Amino acid sequence: MGKRNKKNLQKKLNKKLLKLLYNAKAGHIGCCLSCMDILIETFLFQMGKKDKFIFSKGHAVPALYIILNELGELSDKELVTFHKDGTKLLAHPPKDLSEITLFPTGSLGHGLSLAAGVAHAMKFKNKSKSRVYCLISDGECNEGQVWEAAQYAAHHKLDNLVVLVDNNGLQAIAKTEDVLGDSSTKEKWDAFGFETFVADGHSFDELEKTFRTFKKSKNDAPKIIICNTIKGYGVSFMENTVESHYTILTKELYEQAIADINKKYES
Amino acid sequence: MKAEFSQTLEKIGKRDKDFVFLTGDLGFNAFENIMQTFGKRFINAGVAEQNMVSVAAGMARMGLQPWVYSIATFLTLKTFEQVRNDVCFLNLPVKLVGNGGGYGYGIMGETHHALEDLAIYTSLENLTCYVPAFSEDVPTIMQKMYKSKSPAYLRLTNVPKTQIKLPIYAPLRKIASGNEVTIVALGPLVHEVLPLINNNNIDLFCISELPVTYSLDRLITSVKKTKRLLILEEHRREGGMGEKVLSRLINHSVAINKVIHLYANGYPSGLYGSRGFHLEENMLNSSGVKKALQSIHE
Repeated sequence: MGKRNKKNLQKKLNKKLLKLLYNAKAGHIGCCLSCMDILIETFLFQMGKKDKFIFSKGHAVPALYIILNELGELSDKELVTFHKDGTKLLAHPPKDLSEITLFPTGSLGHGLSLAAGVAHAMKFKNKSKSRVYCLISDGECNEGQVWEAAQYAAHHKLDNLVVLVDNNGLQAIAKTEDVLGDSSTKEKWDAFGFETFVADGHSFDELEKTFRTFKKSKNDAPKIIICNTIKGYGVSFMENTVESHYTILTKELYEQAIADINKKYES
Repeated sequence: MKAEFSQTLEKIGKRDKDFVFLTGDLGFNAFENIMQTFGKRFINAGVAEQNMVSVAAGMARMGLQPWVYSIATFLTLKTFEQVRNDVCFLNLPVKLVGNGGGYGYGIMGETHHALEDLAIYTSLENLTCYVPAFSEDVPTIMQKMYKSKSPAYLRLTNVPKTQIKLPIYAPLRKIASGNEVTIVALGPLVHEVLPLINNNNIDLFCISELPVTYSLDRLITSVKKTKRLLILEEHRREGGMGEKVLSRLINHSVAINKVIHLYANGYPSGLYGSRGFHLEENMLNSSGVKKALQSIHE
């Protein structure tokens, strides 16, 4: 798919996401917008049929719902129930969402360990060509379990594990660097034995190139792409703000957000 | 019980290509057979219990049969959320094995004593807790755990060999018959009652599975007969076996003249010692049971 078509996809899916969040009066909008491009590239262009995905930054699940809807894994009818009483689509990944995503998440720090277990099981079962992807956030790297899992993955040479860090520099109530320091640097992941890549998480060119590189790699270390992203990406009043974690879209804000997206992804 | 555990695990593992054993860097001089027999399927996951449990969940979700081993406290308290979210929500067949139930680790102190494990684990959906009373129970329980597609927790405590004829394993077993008083002991504490059964007319029962999802009819019949109940457990009172049994008796409107509940009350003197020392401090050893039997008749 060419650049122009990916841009159209970005426009379509981001608008669909905003509509979903507006209708549901749901938050975590900034967190969804920062990882949407990573999800588009990974799910729609890079993953193989038997690959798995652990969505560790569970609070950004609306973005995942939009992707699964695009893949035909989640119907439009089900999607509109999001966030409402009696829904299966809660504000964190539910336990039986799909055979691609495997686990319910929501408490940060579990996902990398779960993904390491899945990757190790693939090795035991000789599914050597399958990979497991795991989306974590930079704030999530405050959690000790992330680093327990990093040691485990590197020690067992889980080269079929691909970690994607949504490195937007903001966590729940402050800048990541002001909380416990930059929690997810290339140096840290290198030191833990990962084959580390850094990419602009909103550039399909860079993401695609990075995927191409690690897929050819002969290095037996687990892979990680630190995706530098912008929280609230594409919506002017949300970009790089802590508030975008909490903002609920009013009609006016929603219309402005849609106008921003239309403008950003003009053909 | 560790020897029986390790022998049975080897048998189970040899039969099942999906078997995986994870230990939190524990089992010196106990699991060498497992290490040699299973090679890469023996995984020392390091002193990183939270990761170990979530890794096991990931493996189980992909169809493997992971057994996870650590000291009981580390495997229940430090990993509670991992067990709850990653294992129990999905009802995955992860088998958790904690060594040193109750005061099993003796002089190692309170960081190593599992006195709350059953309270927290019995609050989880899909999880069954097993508390073997005799070494002979371990293989039977492990086969039961292995055949089940749900998560399970096995609480191991060292116990002496016994000469008595053991009834076939069941979650609730009658160990001895009498007419004066009913005693129900959680797993290994049954050994503290055995020296007393000949002279005290005791109807002795042993419970080895929690929560109580099975019939307590035999126990209820006994209490209706003796009207005196002594409960023994190497666990805190809150959330333990005693509360669970008593609530069932209340549901059945069983009239009891006197109940004595002996449980692990922590460290009453503030001093530390062997498991035997702590059982004595908490009146959970034979002499404590003897005193309780005297007062239950008063």
